[in-house]
Amino acid sequence: MASNQQTSKSLWGHAWDSLVSDKLTVVCMSIVFFYALVALLSATGLIVSDWSKEVGPSYAPPSSEYLFGLDIFGRSVFAKTVKATEIAMSVGLVTGILTVIIGVTLGSISGYYGGKIDEFLVWFYTTVSSVPYIMLLISIAFIVGKGILAVYLSLGLTSWTGLFRLIRGEFIRHKDREYVQAATAIGGGDFRKIFKHILPNVFHIVIINFSLQFQFAIKSEVILSYLGLGVQGVPSWGTMINDAKLELARGNWWQLAAATAAMLVVVLAFNILGDALRDALDPKLKGK
Amino acid sequence: MKKISILVAIFTVLGLMTTSCTKKEMTKGKTLSLAVSSQVKGMDPIYANDRYSSNEVARVYEGLLQYHYLKRPYTLVPNLAESMPKVSDDGLTYTFKIKKGVVFQDDAAFPEGKGRELTAEDFVYSIKRLADPKLQGLGWWLLDNKIVGLNEWRKKYAELDKVDYSEEVEGLKSLDRYTLQFKLAKPFPQFLYALAMPFTFAVAKEVVDKYGKEFLNHPVGTGPFRIKDGVFKQTKKIVYEKSPSFREKKYPCEASEKFKNDGLLEDCGKTLPLVDRLVVNIIEEDQPRWLNFQKGKVEYVSVPKDNFDTVIPDAKNLSPEYKDKGIVLMVSPSLDVTYTAFNNDLDLFKKNTKLRQAMSLAYDIDKANKLFYNNQAIPAQSVVPPGIAGHIENYTNPYRGNGSAEQLEKAKKLLAEAGYPEGKGLPEITYDCPSNTVSRQIGEYFKKQMAKIGISIKVIQNPWPELQKKITTRNVMTYGIAWGADYPDAENFLQLLYGPNRAPGANGSGYDNPELNRLFKVASVMQDSPERTALYEKMNRIAAEEVPWIYGVHRQNFTLRHSWLKNYISSDFEAGIGQYLNIDKKKKKEMLKKL
Repeated sequence: MASNQQTSKSLWGHAWDSLVSDKLTVVCMSIVFFYALVALLSATGLIVSDWSKEVGPSYAPPSSEYLFGLDIFGRSVFAKTVKATEIAMSVGLVTGILTVIIGVTLGSISGYYGGKIDEFLVWFYTTVSSVPYIMLLISIAFIVGKGILAVYLSLGLTSWTGLFRLIRGEFIRHKDREYVQAATAIGGGDFRKIFKHILPNVFHIVIINFSLQFQFAIKSEVILSYLGLGVQGVPSWGTMINDAKLELARGNWWQLAAATAAMLVVVLAFNILGDALRDALDPKLKGK
Repeated sequence: MKKISILVAIFTVLGLMTTSCTKKEMTKGKTLSLAVSSQVKGMDPIYANDRYSSNEVARVYEGLLQYHYLKRPYTLVPNLAESMPKVSDDGLTYTFKIKKGVVFQDDAAFPEGKGRELTAEDFVYSIKRLADPKLQGLGWWLLDNKIVGLNEWRKKYAELDKVDYSEEVEGLKSLDRYTLQFKLAKPFPQFLYALAMPFTFAVAKEVVDKYGKEFLNHPVGTGPFRIKDGVFKQTKKIVYEKSPSFREKKYPCEASEKFKNDGLLEDCGKTLPLVDRLVVNIIEEDQPRWLNFQKGKVEYVSVPKDNFDTVIPDAKNLSPEYKDKGIVLMVSPSLDVTYTAFNNDLDLFKKNTKLRQAMSLAYDIDKANKLFYNNQAIPAQSVVPPGIAGHIENYTNPYRGNGSAEQLEKAKKLLAEAGYPEGKGLPEITYDCPSNTVSRQIGEYFKKQMAKIGISIKVIQNPWPELQKKITTRNVMTYGIAWGADYPDAENFLQLLYGPNRAPGANGSGYDNPELNRLFKVASVMQDSPERTALYEKMNRIAAEEVPWIYGVHRQNFTLRHSWLKNYISSDFEAGIGQYLNIDKKKKKEMLKKL
């Protein structure tokens, strides 16, 4: 019996195996892990807490002394890039979590109960998805003031609609399946059926969506900060690119290069990871 | 019979020649292309309260007076007025004679679409329009409490449903078709300057009545240019054409000494405007504007801060690369001041002169000058810029920071005396600025400077209209902004610190100092005299030492122009300059190849 237990693997076990079997995916996972670590260290103040310090002359080019060069105030572009990683990752994480909470709760309620509730929620999500997040951001910024909180809220409150749609669809598909009927037969309540029975079966969608949402939020944060609507007073890849817009005329390419490279790597890693997760987790793609 | 046929033939040929000529003119006439850096709100004189809108208004509309194009110091000369006004002995009654035969541009609003003659009544109407309580013209501050009966008129109709323009105002009358009389309620030495500002330019009642709210986009004036197709479409490109009904106005033949030798008088006596078309391109970002200039698509441009080092390597002369292309550099100081204002409504700043002084001392202006103005601006010691009476030569503000260690020590000491040793006990101070890149960088610089003495600053970026709203509603702690002169008189700068002028008036910082107020009240009704200058200087000194703002710099304009653009000189009052500019088409064709 013991040997039998070893060979039998859960869905998650299989998924993990398929993930680590691909070298590219492993690289991407390590990159994401590395970014997360950097963000964590920076958030706890263990590294680059002195990013705003003047370390040399204004606009010094990259050299062995100044790794990525210096900006207008003689601050290290490297330190700014690292500090901005913290902002980007935190926006990705918070937005991702907000999206999951709202999308999953509303999606499962809507799909499971159907009827008037479903009609209302579908109307609601159509309305929300027609609001551009920049508009919402501007109005939220009026209430809570400009800054990272407004970015979290505006991105989180607008981007749950995609996940909502998927979860609702899956719930409609699953709620009449035999295992759910069996659960009903042995006296399972709605709450138990939703969270104990159906949700675990559709959770892979949440994970895939989360990783794609993560990189979307990072990109959006960069765009918002570039436009001056995002974080204020702390470095962001967006504000760095905005600075570079003018500096390029002087031939200063390093700030642009550092910010775009940092962003490119993490967004690409998340995208590839998202694809790999889908391949590993989606039962429909099994064996292909 | 034969004679007639020959004549007919000759006329036909002549006719053909002239038509072909005009056709050629149409396609080949001179076109002047300009670039401006901000959106234009509209073309109604009473709403033109920013530099960009008022410049566009002044291409189509005209006022009684204007600044002489080629004279410095700035000198007022008649424009639609026949001559300078007759002023009564008490200095309160101004009588203008208006030029005869000036007509409005053709428009469907007039009978048969033909523009009618301008009369004194049009000015009465236009100025009442500025005072109209229903329209809320943005230039009302200019004439508020200045003209006999106008405030009463405004007040009366603010409560009634309809404004009656036919009710006569004692201080604003047309005595006959061409005579206009103003009676002032009290001496107002800057009154004539007000008549050269686009707020008081002449509009026609018929046009306002016909277009109603849309009048904003239907400019019909007496000026040298009219907008193509008659409608301003709020686009990024505004095309004007020479107004065919523009009166005979000549290019000036006199100039100040410094303008005499630059070929600026070559067009002396020629009929204005000198070009057939004027195209205004609205390009908000520095780099596209700069690239357009390099391609020869824009006649002149001011040098963007980030291109400064390549274009003017030694900060004085143009680099040979540009010189070879015939490009000319023009440097001129501008009548302005940049500053970081404190909201003096807040007890934090109001009661704490030492805090303000400490912050001013901690702000290193020399470094800011290097970073943001290529070290070419003049650090401001107080509010009045050099070049106008009231500015004190060689005066150094004792609270002007320059980054030296001893000043930093002094700043820290003052901060401690203010009750906040090393910044302890101070709340986080917000700093509001416009949302463009350079303004944000200036904000970050301010933050860094204050951090040196332990004060923490939060920089907040705002779109330009929102920032203005925040300032008027007093929703700011500190903010960065600049003021450019409306007219060459220190009064225009000192009024920014006059208590009763507080926001929504021009005094956005809400600074209120009884001594300064008293002096201002005395000086504001005095004619130009050494006594008035002495009073201005006294106020300027108070403004320096009390530090209601952290003073920034007085900027310098570095303008590049192409070789084919003639007659261009930079001016602090750009209203109407388009008509004087000329293009050397042959040279343009030749030089374009080199670009």
